[in-house]
Amino acid sequence: MDRIHKLSEEVVKKFKNSGYDVNIKDVYKRLKLLIDEFKVPEDEAVRTVTNYLLKELDIPRDKLVVDSPLVKIADIGSPGQWISLKAKVVQLWDSSSPNVSQVGLIGDETGIIKFVIWAKANKPEVEEGKNYLFANVVTDRFGGKMQVNINKYSRIEEIDEDISLPPRDVDIVGALVAIQQNSGLIRRCKICNRVLTKGVCPIHGKTEAYDDLRIKGVMDDGENYYEVILNEENIKNLTGIGLEEAIELARKHYDREIVLSELKNKLLGRYFRFKGRRGERYLIVNDIEFLQYDEVEKAKEILSKIGGETIG
Amino acid sequence: MDKFLKRSVAKRVFSFELNEATYKVESDEKLVQILLPTGTLCSRVFIVGVLLDREETRPDSDFWKIRVSDPTGVFRGFVGKFQPDALENLLKIDPPEIVAIVSKVRIFEGTTSNLVTLRPEVIVPVERDVMNYWILETAEQTLKRIKDMKKGESELVEMAWKIYNPDLSYYESKIRDAVSAILKVEKEEEVSEEEIEEETADISESFEEDLELEIPDIDEFEFEEEEIDLNDILG
Ligand SMILES: [Zn+2]
Repeated sequence: MDRIHKLSEEVVKKFKNSGYDVNIKDVYKRLKLLIDEFKVPEDEAVRTVTNYLLKELDIPRDKLVVDSPLVKIADIGSPGQWISLKAKVVQLWDSSSPNVSQVGLIGDETGIIKFVIWAKANKPEVEEGKNYLFANVVTDRFGGKMQVNINKYSRIEEIDEDISLPPRDVDIVGALVAIQQNSGLIRRCKICNRVLTKGVCPIHGKTEAYDDLRIKGVMDDGENYYEVILNEENIKNLTGIGLEEAIELARKHYDREIVLSELKNKLLGRYFRFKGRRGERYLIVNDIEFLQYDEVEKAKEILSKIGGETIG
Repeated sequence: MDKFLKRSVAKRVFSFELNEATYKVESDEKLVQILLPTGTLCSRVFIVGVLLDREETRPDSDFWKIRVSDPTGVFRGFVGKFQPDALENLLKIDPPEIVAIVSKVRIFEGTTSNLVTLRPEVIVPVERDVMNYWILETAEQTLKRIKDMKKGESELVEMAWKIYNPDLSYYESKIRDAVSAILKVEKEEEVSEEEIEEETADISESFEEDLELEIPDIDEFEFEEEEIDLNDILG
């Protein structure tokens, strides 16, 4: 197929997506004239022919939709991007705002994200558990989190695909690549259990407090990362340092920070197998242990995959 | 719901591959991403290898040059006071020692070639079985990327073919050697720590010689980060 034929098909498809049939022979003839005879650059030629057809068929310009690129939810990183998504409606929330038609969560196999259908968008309602193409939606950041907004330029189409969601329960082998602030021997507010920063509860200010041990960290398996929270029990099982031992260590060195550096030395850079459940942001760890594996077996397995077609 | 505040994943990549990477992908954010020869973007790595040496670039500069070997070659990196945790740990280590490193990747652009270096955020001494697992895991993930290269379906893969045209069978042979070495060590019932350290040192030395030939004079490199003095790099 020649280049001009391909461009013609794209133009025809663009109109078809918006509900208009145009004659491919006509499009081809016009493009060929512009590109071959008049040496007009391809994109200019396409634009010219598109404009001609819009005028000819009396189609308002905003009726002709060129869909934004189809992406996965995990790839959504910055606000203000026009994208398209194939996703399942996971949950619909009650909306208190008259400006919002529907709000909730949609998901694909890479992640789950909040969506908002504005009342002004004037779209038919989506249903929980059904799968849709959300074409031409806009990414946005709200309250520190990413979401997608469905506006009047967006299109929602039910699709005949069953989109799988990321598993809520995970069983992963990964390395602990970071331990974040507010880890180690911490103090919590006696009223609300929040972690104190420099002795101050974000809600109750200077308050009575108690000691606790926890790690906020990042597990990374080379393909994804998981923010995890390890509680006292997890930490004690792994390192032998529980709350009592941690308090004792801090007392001996007159330094609470020693607990954190001790835990970093014992845990950072190591591999773990952990089972847990995805929360809003953190993975709640049920069970975690240092990775145990059969070196020889794994090495042999890898060698058997090298070369040939059998890599997999 | 775990993707809202994006962090770059730490890629598993052997030194021989990372050292061949020369192509930086421009990004509007401050993120430096390097295209690996096996067709994936990399801005952070997790490696476990042998810290061969650390050398202060100039007296009292608090800016240290490090070399870390894996079975396929040597990673080079720099640790300074901007990574206080890594620096503190580095100064406690008596090389050679097995370390795990979580690191940003930097690429210095010279006129005839580029130089990839590490900027570790975490350096921590670890046990030998951690290193062995890293070798196996890195072998696995590199093979997976090689498989995708053979399929040739993504834009990044196409780019990698165009820019690097990697000899994948050479890559596979490097991986085979690295994995086989684990089986060999496992077979020899008693291998002393010293012997292994000598072995890794040998590998890295010969690799170092190769590097000398390929890497042009450091004066050719321009540095994008203000905290780096030109003289610090290979000084
Ligand atoms: Zn409180």
